[in-house]
Amino acid sequence: MPHRITRKEDLNTMDYLIEVEAPMVAERFRPGNFTVLITVPQGERIPMSIQKAEDGKITMFIKRLGKTSIELDGFEVGDSLESVIGPLGNPPEIKRYGKVVFASDLVCGHAENYALCKALQKIDGNHVISIQTFPTKDDVYPTEELSEAVCDEYYLTTLDGSRGIKGHYNDLLRDLLYQEKVDIIFAGGDIPALRDLSKLTEPYDIPTIVTVRQIMIDATGMCGSCRVFIDGEMKLTCIDGPMFDAHKLDFKDIINRLSMFKKKEVEAMEYYKSKTGAR
Amino acid sequence: MKEADRIRVPMREQPVKDRVKNFDSVPLGYSEEEAMAEARRCIQCKDRPCMMRCPVNMKISAMIETIAEGNFKEAYLIAKEDNPIPAISGRVCPQESQCEAVCTMGKKADAINIGKLEAFIGDWAMRNGVTEELHIDEKDKKVAVIGSGPAGISCAVDLRKLGYQVTMFEALHVAGGVLQYGIPAFRLPKDIVDCELSYLLKIGVDVRLNHIVGQNVMLDELRREFDAIFVGTGAGAPRFLNIEGEELMGIYSANEFLIRVNLMKAYDFPEHDTPIVCGARVGVMGAGNVAMDVARCAVRLGAEEVYILYRRTKRESPAREEELRHALEEGVVFVELVNPTRLLGGDDGWVKGIELARMKLGEPDSSGRPRPVMIKGSEFIMELDTVVNALGTVPNRLFLGRTPELETTGWGAIKVDENLMTNIEGVFAGGDSTSGGATVIQALGEGRAAAASIHNYLSGR
Repeated sequence: MPHRITRKEDLNTMDYLIEVEAPMVAERFRPGNFTVLITVPQGERIPMSIQKAEDGKITMFIKRLGKTSIELDGFEVGDSLESVIGPLGNPPEIKRYGKVVFASDLVCGHAENYALCKALQKIDGNHVISIQTFPTKDDVYPTEELSEAVCDEYYLTTLDGSRGIKGHYNDLLRDLLYQEKVDIIFAGGDIPALRDLSKLTEPYDIPTIVTVRQIMIDATGMCGSCRVFIDGEMKLTCIDGPMFDAHKLDFKDIINRLSMFKKKEVEAMEYYKSKTGAR
Repeated sequence: MKEADRIRVPMREQPVKDRVKNFDSVPLGYSEEEAMAEARRCIQCKDRPCMMRCPVNMKISAMIETIAEGNFKEAYLIAKEDNPIPAISGRVCPQESQCEAVCTMGKKADAINIGKLEAFIGDWAMRNGVTEELHIDEKDKKVAVIGSGPAGISCAVDLRKLGYQVTMFEALHVAGGVLQYGIPAFRLPKDIVDCELSYLLKIGVDVRLNHIVGQNVMLDELRREFDAIFVGTGAGAPRFLNIEGEELMGIYSANEFLIRVNLMKAYDFPEHDTPIVCGARVGVMGAGNVAMDVARCAVRLGAEEVYILYRRTKRESPAREEELRHALEEGVVFVELVNPTRLLGGDDGWVKGIELARMKLGEPDSSGRPRPVMIKGSEFIMELDTVVNALGTVPNRLFLGRTPELETTGWGAIKVDENLMTNIEGVFAGGDSTSGGATVIQALGEGRAAAASIHNYLSGR
């Protein structure tokens, strides 16, 4: 089954949006699910968050970072991906939580922010607050891809203060939590920032559910590469997660093992550049 | 018996110095002349213990007899009657503990090299484009086969031959299960796996890749759509030791190591995208076939020293004789009577070594093998920069976790009755998902047995 690209647009200089035909994933998608892409036959299996799933198509936000994301950036509308697999993962329950926050500061987090806010906002009794952080005003996504339209209360922050509120979502939350009662916080993106968030919310005893990005291969519970430790107990991000209780997560372990293939990633990029002349 | 007949026709192999640098097949296979010469050693004994001992009861002596006559096509068709994938099982079956262990010839001389003859005949058919001519009487009943590993393959083939409409669901992006992700190409070349699997498509099995039952397809849906279901989901989940240091970088489950190397072809990185980091000093915990596969992959990935760390001795190793021999020839060092107690890391988060306790052999345990007993205070440290855990696998809880209605044993194996039916009417299971981790041929056998049960069930017998 070909997975044709139906839309592809830049979100900023680093991030782009891609929409592909993936009827099975789209039909069965629940917010918080992820997908695994294989771009070319000799490609890796790469997990991706999903922003939207509609009409047999899914939309993802991707950062031009490693070999696969840069290679995929070379694809155009009409080209096909080798495989789009899923939906995967064990998403959170979409129910009445009360006052809900979703905070994000990177591509994958922004995609989930949109998907979850949209679903949670539809539930009676929820008041959904979305916070999205970008480095500067130039990095802010086009308005229609932000979560502003799918939440009840929206905050945009930039690290340099060039647009919206100055600072990281954690800075904003520090003030917000001081002022009002929040029932649950979801967050996704940069792992050290999620660790900081966990420290921030723990004294308030606010349930804090974060998306873990750990290295995956099969994403079906076979390889164990994405193992994380929850209160010392081993869980797999692919089938038990990717969302976990931040207060119980061993962040040091996650951050450490995320760098296991760093050198190889550079090597893959160099090889790809030398082969294609890509810059 | 002529003196010359006492010994096997030797199998030509890639020289060690060459093969440690590539992932090509180590045995080079018999030529037609060699195969005929080896087959002629068979005395065609009346009892046919080889066939009795074979988990799929292959008509081994008839196959050998026709090979001896040079009638390879006939030999292939005989093999294929009971075994859908002879080129594969010929390579990965533990023949020395099955057919060859009971070979009459083996009592006085070398047993017939049944495995290599079986592989020869499978390869010969592939090379010459020979296949069975099937006349399938189509039935309208539909059967779903979950998993495309050995158990699923044999079940699907038998049911399809009986005329059932068979749909196979595979979670990964390629079919074959452990044949693809587990067994390395130097032991089982992937073109052979692909060719044997193309047979499924040829006879009309509908193979659906990337369908993860329990995740993006539910068992309930399949029960509504299909008249019977076979669960052959294997034992594909890693088991960790829960010892200190398992979170370190440089620690792999055997599954991860082999999936990277075999399924994702990390040995061809960066031509293939998926990388593997394999250090200079590699320790492999365990001494079964999987451990040998990991150790021999590590040698080929450029490791300078590779250690098998086993709590018993070489004698008790569950690995096939040939794998153990090949590993040792390739420079793998077998460290006997040690048990890992913790993994040690450096400030950089990478594994630096392993603490091992010395063991001694005690009284036999339930497996009949002497129980290893830890010698108190004998712990010592071995410096390593990659550690792979090959201490076994368990059934994947993704499928089981999402199908709580399916009864399992305490450790996650699916419970079945004498007809291989689970507690759910019309749902059958076999292979590693019920046994927990055995051999390819045993899985093939159970797949066949389940196919027979499903046929009985669907024809109201």
